[in-house]
Amino acid sequence: MDGEDVATLVLPSVLDLKAVGGLHADLLAVRGRPLTLDASQVSRLGGLGLQVLLAARTTWAEDAQPFSVVNPSEDFTGALDLFGAPDLEPVASEASDPFAADSNSADARELRS
Amino acid sequence: MDPLAAIKVTFFQECEEQLAELEGGLLAMEGGDHDPEIVNAVFRAVHSIKGGAGAFSLEELVRFSHVFETALDLIRSGDIPADQETLKLLLRSADVLADHVRAARDGGSVDEGRSSAMAEALEALASGMGGGGEADTGDGFSDFVFNPVAIDLSDTAAAPDTSIEDLLARVTGEVEAADADEGAEGDVTWHIRFYPQVGLYQKANESGLLLRELARLGRIDVRLDVSGLPNLQNMNPEDAYLGWSVELTGPAIEEAAVRDVFEWVDGDCYLDIVRADTAPAPTLAQTLAQTPATSIDAVGEVDVMALIRAAQAAEVPGAAMVPPSSGSAPAGAPARTEPAKAKEAALDAKAQAAAREASPQTIRVDLERVDRLIDLVGELVINQAMLTQRVAECGLQRASSVAMGLDDLEQLTREIQDSVMAIRAQPVKSVFQRFPRLVREIAAMTGKEVRLIMEGEGTEVDKTVIERLSDPLTHMIRNAIDHGLETPEEREAAGKPREGVVKLAALHRSGRIVIEISDDGRGINRPRVKQIAVDKGLISPETNLSDDEIDNLIFMAGFSTAATVSDISGRGVGMDVVRRSIQSLGGRINISSRPGQGSTFTLSLPLTLAVLDGMVVTVAGQTLVAPLTAIIESLQPKAADVRNLGPNAQVIAIRDTHVPLIDIGRSLGYRTVTPPPTEGVALLVEGEGGSRAALMVDAIQGQRQVVIKSLEANYRPVPGIAAATILGDGRVALILDIDAVMVPKPHEGLGAAPASTGGGYDLSAAPTSLAKVG
Repeated sequence: MDGEDVATLVLPSVLDLKAVGGLHADLLAVRGRPLTLDASQVSRLGGLGLQVLLAARTTWAEDAQPFSVVNPSEDFTGALDLFGAPDLEPVASEASDPFAADSNSADARELRS
Repeated sequence: MDPLAAIKVTFFQECEEQLAELEGGLLAMEGGDHDPEIVNAVFRAVHSIKGGAGAFSLEELVRFSHVFETALDLIRSGDIPADQETLKLLLRSADVLADHVRAARDGGSVDEGRSSAMAEALEALASGMGGGGEADTGDGFSDFVFNPVAIDLSDTAAAPDTSIEDLLARVTGEVEAADADEGAEGDVTWHIRFYPQVGLYQKANESGLLLRELARLGRIDVRLDVSGLPNLQNMNPEDAYLGWSVELTGPAIEEAAVRDVFEWVDGDCYLDIVRADTAPAPTLAQTLAQTPATSIDAVGEVDVMALIRAAQAAEVPGAAMVPPSSGSAPAGAPARTEPAKAKEAALDAKAQAAAREASPQTIRVDLERVDRLIDLVGELVINQAMLTQRVAECGLQRASSVAMGLDDLEQLTREIQDSVMAIRAQPVKSVFQRFPRLVREIAAMTGKEVRLIMEGEGTEVDKTVIERLSDPLTHMIRNAIDHGLETPEEREAAGKPREGVVKLAALHRSGRIVIEISDDGRGINRPRVKQIAVDKGLISPETNLSDDEIDNLIFMAGFSTAATVSDISGRGVGMDVVRRSIQSLGGRINISSRPGQGSTFTLSLPLTLAVLDGMVVTVAGQTLVAPLTAIIESLQPKAADVRNLGPNAQVIAIRDTHVPLIDIGRSLGYRTVTPPPTEGVALLVEGEGGSRAALMVDAIQGQRQVVIKSLEANYRPVPGIAAATILGDGRVALILDIDAVMVPKPHEGLGAAPASTGGGYDLSAAPTSLAKVG
């Protein structure tokens, strides 16, 4: 639960059919620990990728563990908007470590507007 | 196998099907069929390959299929006329595409020069027409390479949309705006509920792109439904859980346009599209009323497609009630005469589409499982026969309930066996479909003009037979074009059309499959064939041969009529190899030829290699099975007909010829002394190349269908024995290898060498034996 335990995953640039299996396994491996996802590299987020991220968010919330997405790329936030899932970020922010995510989520909102 | 690899395997399997569809469609178009459904099917085939290739990052394949698809799209939209020249180019492109698919699957590479030349030709074709295609050439393409799937749907879905809309706009402009399109009056709103299924993602489609497409049509308000999403632990990351409901608002959005967005994922998602306002959906009649009274052909074709889509979308109650048999107008009939006719065409097309959807469902099954099933059914047949025999031994009456129950069981067993065999049966199409390409390539290499006609592609035969048919048929088609057909100039001089015809036909005849390869070429040059055989010492010069016999000389080992060894058919593989491979399948090959009019090769093959019709015989107390196909007749030898030839060998006179008389018991080592031939039965058999012999057995038990069990796999190869089977009494019976039994053993020397037969020559015998013709 303390900061040293925070797991950070850098999301791959393409989150599609090929990538979700690996991502799913990676996420399960760090379950139970605070999680920070670095979305800076994401150029394409597919429906399957979205599913995994949403499921992870729910799961981390169930586990009462902090969950945050940092450095979202423009493509990433754009895709979230398109999918009608802009709430991945705010919900995540609420649950996330305040000092880790605040500035980033502000960035994200700027990018989106 | 991990799921992704399994999907990849499925992808390549589907690729093969798509390629077949592609080629079939292009050939139909070449044959003058302009049904827009065919053009669509062709386009879809390439599109699917591209989509899947994108998912697996097969860049070469994506690149080529993209160029190909672009060209096809322009043909689909009517911007490029599908003339013969274009279709030839498309067919060659289909060949290159097939190469790309195989290279991607098996590794290896594609002929780069050919591929890029073809890609350039396709691009030239696409850019040759003005407007409409620019979206897909140039920059769009280079983007595409880096991000294959992302562009995937956007370019393909956009291009047809715009063109159809253009056309509709043109069309509505021509027509008096009596039935004003309600969309033109203001914004319309569509409620779209969209739930992808797992197949959508597996086919490399992407829900995000669909949403983006919708966004192009108007303003969208997307709501994500996560209610079906389990938590991370319980989810399968490759399954589909999410759904979307979209409110799409914009001026003049046609339902057809909305549906077009989902055209490629139809069947892979749950989709519900309804208009938000209460205005009724445009009726079919209204839609049809917009059909122009006169429009040019190209427009007419595309227009029908739009109408069909509109008709499907409109869901007119009457449409569903029209029986599918209302097939008076073909689906492709341009809707240019009058609304009623167009309506009929549209409905008919709908009925056809429904029929396609209802087409038989298939599953893919591992071949091993089928083989295991066949094996087990074989055991069942044997077991059932054994049981019947046991019951008979108990002395139960035939009318007893047990015996009658067994009869039923026997019928059931037969039926099961037939049904299981039918699982393995496949249409010969899977082999035949390779040949159009082969013919095109050989025609190009030899500079001959060739048309390939195929018949009976649906004829079914066991998979093992099909697999082994490919090589011999390929060789024979090569031969037919390279040796059989003349050059166009020669043909003209001979008063024939420039274009030669090679015909490939398959049919069932008396429990066997017959395949004919015929050409209308020059036929066999008999004097030359005979001369070559003499020159090579294959026959003696004074041998008197009938025309048929001369024709059959080409099957002799070491025979080649081509003056020079050509690239195409002279690969060191002669017709003797073809004959041998056909014979190893239990088949026969025949040739008939008429000078100046062409040659016909006829193959006759068993439908399956798993069961065999056999003659059950007794030899020295052993039960043996002789394949029925080899047996010509059986007879009881008379003492006067049998003559000794040296100490060990005998010949028997059958009508006008003498054939060697071979005692099976001795040649298999069951006994050392041959009983008098008059006490047994002689089976006149025909082996390789028509050579004959009489096989002596003690008695004939009867004919029976037996299940073949490999002796090699279960024991070890035995000379003279082809395989084994299990009889009703549970004993193993050996199946004779007729050809092996007929070949004389070295120590038997002269006597047992097959003297020549009614055929007049013997392909397996030494040339000198021809002098002994009886």
